[in-house]
Amino acid sequence: MKKSTKIILWVFFLIVALVQLFPLIWLVDFSFLSSNEFYSSSILKWPSDPQWQNYINAWVDGKFLRYFLNSAFVTTVTILLTVVLSLTLGYAFTRMQWRFRSIFFTIILLGIMIPIHATLLPNFAIFKALGLTNSYLGLILPYTAVSVPMGTFILTGFLKSIPKAMEESAVVDGAGIYRIVFQIIAPLTAPALVTVVVTTFLNCWNEFIMASTFLSKDALKTLPFSVMNFAGQYSSDYGSQFAVMVLTSIPAIIIYAIFNEQITKGVTAGAVKG
Amino acid sequence: MQKVFNNKTAIFLFVFPGILLFALTFLVPIFLSGYYSLRDTLAPGTPSTFTGFANYTQLLFHDSRFWLALRNAILLGLGFIFIQHPIAIFFAIMLDRLGGKAEKWFRTIFFIPCVISVVVISKMWLSLLDPTFGAFNKLLDTLGLGMLKHAWLGDSSTALVTMLFILIWAGFGWGLLFYYAGLKGIPDEMYEAASLDGASGFKLHLRITVPLLSPVITVQITLAMITALKQMETVFLTTNGGPGDSTQFLAVYLYNKAFSASQYGYANAISILFIIVCLLATYLSSKLTRSDATEF
Repeated sequence: MKKSTKIILWVFFLIVALVQLFPLIWLVDFSFLSSNEFYSSSILKWPSDPQWQNYINAWVDGKFLRYFLNSAFVTTVTILLTVVLSLTLGYAFTRMQWRFRSIFFTIILLGIMIPIHATLLPNFAIFKALGLTNSYLGLILPYTAVSVPMGTFILTGFLKSIPKAMEESAVVDGAGIYRIVFQIIAPLTAPALVTVVVTTFLNCWNEFIMASTFLSKDALKTLPFSVMNFAGQYSSDYGSQFAVMVLTSIPAIIIYAIFNEQITKGVTAGAVKG
Repeated sequence: MQKVFNNKTAIFLFVFPGILLFALTFLVPIFLSGYYSLRDTLAPGTPSTFTGFANYTQLLFHDSRFWLALRNAILLGLGFIFIQHPIAIFFAIMLDRLGGKAEKWFRTIFFIPCVISVVVISKMWLSLLDPTFGAFNKLLDTLGLGMLKHAWLGDSSTALVTMLFILIWAGFGWGLLFYYAGLKGIPDEMYEAASLDGASGFKLHLRITVPLLSPVITVQITLAMITALKQMETVFLTTNGGPGDSTQFLAVYLYNKAFSASQYGYANAISILFIIVCLLATYLSSKLTRSDATEF
C-alpha cells in the first residue's frame, strides 16, 4: 500500500475513534466538574478545579467496595462452573457415544435462543419458593445456566477440530476418561475456554435485570447497583453520578486491557469455525 | 478406545449437572409460565382461577401494544442489519488493510464500549441527550444546527431511532470483531488470484471479500434479529418503553405487566409468545440464509 493511502487511513481511523469514544471522554471530563458547571455552553471543559469529592462520594455512598466484592465473587464462581460444565458437555456431545446426544445437544442450544427475560417471571416465583432470592446462589445459578449453552456451542466447535489421535495415544498410555478430558483435552481447548471465560465475565459482570429482580438485600448487590442507588440519592449532583459511572467501569476496562489479545484470538477461532 | 468413549458413568457425570441446571432454570420455568399464562394470576403465590386461553386471545387480537412491541423489534433488527453491519464490515476491511501496531490499537479502542455495563451506558446516554446539559444538543448549537435541538428520547417520533443509534454505538465493537475475525480467516491467495484477474480496491472487496464473509454474515444477521427481539435493559433503563409506547419491546412490556401492573398471568402469556417468536425467528433466519451461504 502507498504511504499516502496509509496516512489517510490513519487519520480516518483516528477521527472515528475519537467520535466513538467521545461519550466516554465526556463522561470522564464532566465527572470532575461541579454540578453548576454542567450548564455552561462548552462541550468539553478543562476541570480547573477538579472535584475529587465526586469520587469520594462515589466510593463511599456508591458502596463501591462492597458491591465490587459481590460482583467479583458471583462472577468468579459463575465462570468456574460455566467452564467445567461447558467442557464436559462439549466433550460428551462431540466424542462420547450415547443414544440421546443429538436431542440433548439441540435442547442445550435452545438456551441460546430462549430470551432470559421470558424465564424471569417464573424463575422469580421458583426462587422465592426455594428461598434463593437474596442469596449469591440465586444469581450464580441463572448466570451459569445462561452462559453454559453458548460455552457448549463454542467448545463443541473447537473440539471437532482437535484430532482424535491425541486421545488414542493417551488411551494407549493407560489414561482414563477423566484424565483425558481434564489433563489432555482441557489445555488443548485453552483458546476456546478463554473466549468462554471472557464472554461469561462480560455478561455476568454487567448484568442488571436478573440481579434487580432477584436481589433486594443491600449486602448482596452487585456493581451495577452502585449507579442505580446513586441516581436517587444524588439526583441533582450530576458530577457525583458521573464519577460513580466512571468508577464502576474501570474494573471491566482493566480486565479487557489484560485479555484483549485473547478475546480477539478466541473470537477468531470461534468465528471461522462457527 | 471405544470402551473409553462408551463409559456410561463418565457420560452421566459429564452431562447430568449441565442438563439438570438447564432444566431447572429454563424448562421448568417455561412450563410454570405456561401454567400461569392460563390463569388470571395477580402475583406469584396468590389465588387465581383458570381462564383458559383468555390471556392469549386478548394478547393476539385486542392488544395493540404486543404488536407494536414486535414491530419495534423488527425495525430495530432491520436497523442493525442494514446500518450497523455494513458499517462494521466496511471498518473491518479498512482495519485489515491498515496493518501493523495501529491495527491492533484501533481494534482495541473500538471494542471499549462493549465492556461497559448497560446501566452505565443507559445513564450516560440519558445525560448526553439531556435537553438542558447534554453534550449532543450543545454540539448541535456549536455546529449552528440549533434548530435541530431536541429531547431525542423524549419525543415519540425520534425515540426509536435514537435507541437504534445508542445500541449501534454500544454493539458496534462486537460486530467489527466478528467480521474482522472472519476476514483473517480468508486466505491471502484468494486476493492474489483476484488481483491477477484485474480486480482492485472496492470491486475486489465487493466481489471477493463479501461473498467469502457470507458464513459470518449469515450468523451475524441471525444474531442481530435475536438481539433486537431480546432488547430489554437499555430500553428499560432509558425510556421504559415510552414515550407513548414508541420504544416498547416485548421484554419491557412483560416486565412492567408483571411487576408494575400486577397482571402476572397476562405477563406470563407474553413470555410464552415471546419464546415462540424467538424460536420462530431463529428458525426462519437460518432457513432463509442457509441457502446462499458458501463454504470456504
